Parts: sequence; structure tokens; C-alpha cells
Amino acid sequence: MIQYMKISYGVPFKIPRKLGNLFKEIVKIKGVKYIKQQGFVIEDKSSLDAVNRILIKMGLVLVPKIYCYVCGGEVDCENCEFKDICKKDVKYCICKKCLSSHDIVKKYAEKQRLALFKFTK
Amino acid sequence: MLWTEKHRPKVLEDVIGNEDAKIELLKWILSWEGGKRSKPGILLTGPPGIGKTTAVHALANEFGFHVIELNASDLRTSQRIYERVGYVTHTMTLDSFTGDKNINKRVILFFDEIDGIDPKADTGGLKAVVDIANRKEVPVLAAANVPDPVSHKELLKSFKVVEFKPLTPRQIILLLKNIALSENLSISDESLNKIAYISRGDARLAVNMLQEFTAGVKLDYISSPLENLPLDILMKRLNSSNSLAEIKSLLKSNSTQIEDVFYIYFDMILKSISIRFEEKIRLLEECSKLDTIFGLINKKRHFYMFRYITLLLPWLIYSANRAGVVYDGRIPEYRLRLFIFNRGKRGELSSLYETYFKGRFHFSYRKFVLYVFPLTCFYLDKDEFPSLVKYCKNTVGIYPLNR
Repeated sequence: MIQYMKISYGVPFKIPRKLGNLFKEIVKIKGVKYIKQQGFVIEDKSSLDAVNRILIKMGLVLVPKIYCYVCGGEVDCENCEFKDICKKDVKYCICKKCLSSHDIVKKYAEKQRLALFKFTK
Repeated sequence: MLWTEKHRPKVLEDVIGNEDAKIELLKWILSWEGGKRSKPGILLTGPPGIGKTTAVHALANEFGFHVIELNASDLRTSQRIYERVGYVTHTMTLDSFTGDKNINKRVILFFDEIDGIDPKADTGGLKAVVDIANRKEVPVLAAANVPDPVSHKELLKSFKVVEFKPLTPRQIILLLKNIALSENLSISDESLNKIAYISRGDARLAVNMLQEFTAGVKLDYISSPLENLPLDILMKRLNSSNSLAEIKSLLKSNSTQIEDVFYIYFDMILKSISIRFEEKIRLLEECSKLDTIFGLINKKRHFYMFRYITLLLPWLIYSANRAGVVYDGRIPEYRLRLFIFNRGKRGELSSLYETYFKGRFHFSYRKFVLYVFPLTCFYLDKDEFPSLVKYCKNTVGIYPLNR
């Protein structure tokens, strides 16, 4: 039986299995880091696919967790109307509720302004 | 005006998607401004149409930089790069690029589609880019679709790499909503979803599709690629169209088949028995104008006249459709005649290539047929080689240049 585990790109996580020799294999993958005490960090989809090819042998599959850029909540990819074409190679998307709101364009721009302002200030 | 240009974001916060990549870009330019130049340049990677170039222009605009851009259409040998860019970094003399109004602006160098620099044709081009960046005199940015770890090794080592990802379909919808809002358009969610579905993360494609859709092209037509359609399908679509915008769009996307389309329509109009006589005369007069223009383009190489074709042909098709001219799916006779005629020509050209050119000159048969032979014919001295001139005229239909 395959167990699915949600992870976020760029955020450390721990694998709930004893990896043994597989640890070295995973760390060698481009775009994968291991930070002591915190765990693995996966940068993007291609690295995640490579990690999954190893972990599937142990019955574990990592699934990316995608957040709504506007409200910050988790996006429900399982029930997304575009799930069969979306590559899920992003950290942020937009949830259905936010997308259907009438002032989404304004809200998104505002969020971006705040995110970029942090650095320009 | 294309909407991809009209609605190109002016500031970074208006660029949709790739939020982390934009922050990386911003951090880098800020560190540049602060004098902490850890990496001499930045390389943006990712598939086409996802906002790499847009992000660079928005960033430059926001920080008051003027972008000097070298893209794939420029010859990018080291010599040319130093000529165009090298002295800017040394002397900051910008008048040749920018004109007076930008003379006081700071400069960003942007090498778009840097993976298109040909190691053979553009000798030393990549090295020159890295060298200019290493001088750390002006910010150097580059964009590539897929950098090659071997041929772009030096670039990948020296530059900070920022990856741009295709937009998610929902981000595409957001982008389209933004444009619809600016254009004051009301577009159904169903249509937006369809465009987002087809564009598969390519923002440029999505915006182009939205523009075509609002110009009257049916979404069913957009749902399959419009470009390079087989002639039969193109004819069926043109014939079933009642919108001038749609006809223009179809012709624009299939410009290589324009001449075939014209001759097929000419054939259809000629044979049509259902239209009124006066109408037929009027349409044939239009055909005659177009035929003259095609003749001038093909024989005299007056390419500037192509603009009249793009103007007149959609009107001819539109009027013929309205008059009730029907495409019955048959190959017109002229096509068969042309096929037989071309087969003869192909044989002659092939033997000419085999006898005189193959192995002696460094070009393929295709290059010979497309460029070498027509150009040679074009520049022949009429009086000196009369028989050859006649041969060229019969084979490729090109008259030599009048001198």
C-alpha cells in the first residue's frame, strides 16, 4: 500500500522511514538538500520526481503542497478543474474561492506589492 | 497592437506568477545597487512565454534602468557584442542606442535567448557575455529556455540562475481577467477556462488567444492550433467563416499557404454556378488585382507588395463566402497542373545541383533550391547569358535584374 505525504517546495521535511543506503541516493539528486535537525528540502518538481522514483520502492510518494498566493490557504489540487494538465511545479497558485471573487486582480496585486515591498524597504 | 505588448506589465508587482523568482530578481538588483555584487550576472531560465523578458523590462522600468537588449535576431559573435555593448560598459555613451531622452538613464544589458548563441556562427559570444558581466560595470541579465550544461558551463558557473516556471491554469485565468478588466470586456468563465486549458501555462499564447477570441475567432477554432493547418482544413475553415477578423487571423497563421488559398478561391469563384453573374464579375476583378500582385512578388521580387495581399485577400474570401461560393473539398485542376509542372522543375534543378554544385560548395540541395539558384538567376546579366536567362525564367519564373 502506497502512503502519500504532502510537502512544500523549499520547506524542510522529515521522511518517516528508515532510509539506510537510499539517503545517499536522495541527497545526490540535484535540487535536494539535507539540513541537519530539519530534514530534506526539495526545490522543484523535477527534483521531487527524482526523489519519488526512489521512495516509491519503500511505498512512499511525496505530493507537493501548493498554497493560495492571495489567502495563504492550501489549494485543493485534488478537486481542481485543471488537475489533469497542471504540472504542480509551483509553490503558489490561487484557490477557487479567491479566483471567483470579483476583486481578485486587485487582491493579487496588493499581495505582490507587500511581498516585494519587504525587500525594497 | 498586440495585447502581449499593450498589456506588458510596467512594474514587477504586475507580473503574474513566478513569485519567488521575481523576489530573487529583486534581491539581486538591490544587492547590485548596494554594491554587494556576489554574482556578476543573472540567468533566467524557463520555457518561452512565461514572463522572463517581461520581468526584466518591468524591473528595469521600476529602478530607472534603460534596457539594451540583444536577442536571437542579432549576430552575437564576441566582436559584435563588444562593438555593441563593450564600449557602453566603459564609456557609458548611449546616444547610439537610446537617443537623447534616455541619455541620463542607467543601463541594464539583457541578452535574450542566450541559448540561441551558436557556438560556431557566433564565435566567442558566450565568453564575451561572461567577460562583460565580470567587469561588474553594468547589471547583466540573460534569459534562456534550456541552458546546456556543457556549452553554457561558464555562464551557469558565473551567473546566478533563477528558474521561471510555467504559470498554473488558474494564474493564466487571473492574467486574462486582468486584461479583460483593462479592456472593459466581459468574458465568460467557460471561455477563460478553455483558453487556460489550451495554453498550458504559456502566458503569451493565452493572451494572443484572448485577443483572437475577442476579435471574433470562435473558441472551437482556437481549441486546435491555428498555425500550419493542412490546406484542406484551412480551406474548410476559411470557407465556413463569416467573420473578417477570423479570416485575417487564419491567413496570418498560415501565411505560407496564402498563394494556394488564393488560387483555390479563384478556381471556386470561376466554377461557382450558384452566385449572380454581376457578383461573379466583381469577385473575378478582385482576383485579377491579386493575381497581378502575386505576379509582381514572384517574378519581380517586389516583396513590399505583400501588404496589399494581406489587405485584399481576406476581403475577397469574405465577399466570396457571403456571395455563396462553396469549397467542395476537391483539389482544383490548377494544383494538379502545378504538381506535374513542379515535378519537371524539381528534376531539372536536382540534376543541375548534382552536376555543378554537389561536393564543390558547402550548401545543401534545399539551400540551393531556395536561395542559391534563385539569387543567381536574379543577378544574371541578361545580355551575356541569354539562354541561361531563358532557362532560369522557365525554371523558377524569375526575371534577371534590370541593369
